[in-house]
Amino acid sequence: MTPLQILDMAHRFGRRIVLRRVTLRVEPGECAVLYGANGSGKSTLLSLLATRLRIQQGSCLLGDVNLQTHGDLARRYIVLIGHHSHLYGHLSPMENLLFFRDMHQVAADMDALADAIGAVGLEPFAHQPVRWFSAGMKKRLSLARLLIARPRLLLLDEPYSALDQDGVSWLNGVIHRFQHQGGLVVMASHDPEKVQPLRHTPWHLHGGLLQSVTESHRC
Amino acid sequence: MLKAIYRLAWKDVIADFRHRSTFSSMLFFAIAVLLVFQAAFEPDPQEAQRLVPGLLWSTVLFTTILGLGRVFQAEEENGALEGLLLAPLPRGAIFFGKWLGNLVLSLLVMTMLVPLTLVLFNVTIWGHVPMLLLLLFLGTMGLTALGVLLAAMTQTARSRETLLALLLLPLVAPLLIAGVQSMNSVIASGSLTGPWLNLLLIFDVVYLALAPWGFGWLMEE
Repeated sequence: MTPLQILDMAHRFGRRIVLRRVTLRVEPGECAVLYGANGSGKSTLLSLLATRLRIQQGSCLLGDVNLQTHGDLARRYIVLIGHHSHLYGHLSPMENLLFFRDMHQVAADMDALADAIGAVGLEPFAHQPVRWFSAGMKKRLSLARLLIARPRLLLLDEPYSALDQDGVSWLNGVIHRFQHQGGLVVMASHDPEKVQPLRHTPWHLHGGLLQSVTESHRC
Repeated sequence: MLKAIYRLAWKDVIADFRHRSTFSSMLFFAIAVLLVFQAAFEPDPQEAQRLVPGLLWSTVLFTTILGLGRVFQAEEENGALEGLLLAPLPRGAIFFGKWLGNLVLSLLVMTMLVPLTLVLFNVTIWGHVPMLLLLLFLGTMGLTALGVLLAAMTQTARSRETLLALLLLPLVAPLLIAGVQSMNSVIASGSLTGPWLNLLLIFDVVYLALAPWGFGWLMEE
């Protein structure tokens, strides 16, 4: 059970400052939800935590793993489900999960992959190319990765987009179980109603600054 | 890590066979180039034997460039390149996976290209075919290593295929010269030794050592 600690993290794209001195601690079992307008830096923060972007200033520790210096190691414990599905259209759901399993060096046999596909309701389409799937089906398949990867830190960028009501309930169930097992969740969302059933800590990103929602209301 | 490299290459080869895209384009292009050369030169067998190394290597270069232009095509869909970069792997491993997939497709074309050239040009050096294939294999290793790196560099450019060819041609010229010269010596003496072969091996080692490092540097944001 390891916490996530972000200390004084700042980031800029060229001259544009996106994040200023962001400090956040997420305890095991906690779900930190980032709210904020478009372009407020939510996705940038998630990309930094996923080690997709290089940390320019500040530091970030996942347990005792420094994300800045040990990115390859940290990525073993992190799964990011973002705007893009990261799926290959010519591969079937089964093949996409097989690809994910081997790229992320996850110990999961074919039965576990089939179970994950069944759990997201894509069993009838398990061997069809993903290219023809709807956005919701692709989202479900990308979420199926959570079930086989068992990460320590789960990063979700707008996870409810393209999901129907059943999909939203299913996802909240998965996140709830993940929290119960001591997992860390950082989520960017525009849907407070859909997040509501989850035990979570809301944060607000504005002008590159991260504030707790109560603080931001006070401002 | 080896499993990840294999899986990445497998994904690219499977994609190609399902869509019959790169491999078939490369093969038909190679056949077309050889047919044009044959029709243009109409060489007698002795002259053809002299021309074969140059013809083979220029065809290999053209077909490889064609394949390299599509190396990162699958990664453009659904942000798949970002997905690859989120894997807990050194960037070099991702490079080797992409390189291996491209190498397999290129080598499949090469294995068909050599007998086809000998038949078309009526050159009876069938005993040398394994050595010719080995030389093409060695040359293609370095060529595709550099090519995959340059394809990664140019993947976001609008006219990336032109840019790729412009960057690749001067950089692989020494490797191609070494390939042509070592093939000449194989055909003339039947032995697979000599300074040109050493040079070919040196280029392979240099490209395969530097390209993964360059790829990692390119992918950092």
